[in-house]
Amino acid sequence: MKRILTLLALGAILVCGIYAVSYAFENIPDAYDEHLDVVALEENPTEYDVTGADGVADIIVAQNLERTGAENNVAAVVFDFRGFDTLGESFILITSVVGSFVILSKVKKEEKEDAA
Amino acid sequence: MKFKEGIKEKNIIIKCGADTFLPFSLMFALYVILTAPVGGGFQGGVLGAAAVLLLYLGYGYDVTKNSINPEILRINEACATTIYALLGFAGLVFGANFCRNVFYANGWLTGFVHDGTIGLMDYAVGYNVMTGVGFLLILMLGFLAPVEEAKKAEKKEDEK
Repeated sequence: MKRILTLLALGAILVCGIYAVSYAFENIPDAYDEHLDVVALEENPTEYDVTGADGVADIIVAQNLERTGAENNVAAVVFDFRGFDTLGESFILITSVVGSFVILSKVKKEEKEDAA
Repeated sequence: MKFKEGIKEKNIIIKCGADTFLPFSLMFALYVILTAPVGGGFQGGVLGAAAVLLLYLGYGYDVTKNSINPEILRINEACATTIYALLGFAGLVFGANFCRNVFYANGWLTGFVHDGTIGLMDYAVGYNVMTGVGFLLILMLGFLAPVEEAKKAEKKEDEK
């Protein structure tokens, strides 16, 4: 009984997956959207049509370097726009270092006391 | 059990491998960090921290702990985080928001940091990750050390 239920569930998942893949295959977007209106996006960002291939991403990538003065888009995003994120990443490292330092040094001391 | 004893005896092949690959791995780590505009601080730092593992595989825990001082690594990690935060505050000082890129191509220091503070932040993150992950690896490897110490103590007791 359990095996039959498992097979049924897997079959349902397979059918859904095949349907999703075929649906996505029918609606492949164009490679590049050349009809971007930068002025309209700046004036009214909420009502701008972003259903194109890259949407706003084209404009963002094109204007990143001008706005930050960086040489690389990834560096511009990681260290400028998401600078707080990288700061939190280094704080994660520092908390892990301090926590493991406290815990592991305590364990070592206890073992040494037991041995003595 | 046999594997642990093999590490304890310091197999000549592993030792030669560690000797051969250590400088190249460190050079590659520095290369990845110092090509700053691409943004490889974290990855290069982890590559550099892997040198600790190579040392441990080749020479054991005692040599690793004697050659790389964990206390200095811990202090350097805190320094690197402080440097990153200060570089972020440089944006505030020069009239923009936190972590804003300044010093780029405006005549001052442009020959040295041509990418602005973004490049310096990348160096700081690489420094931070290299020291932090190296310290964590040394601490984790310390878990294996008490077993060896206990074995040595047992041998001494048996001799007595």
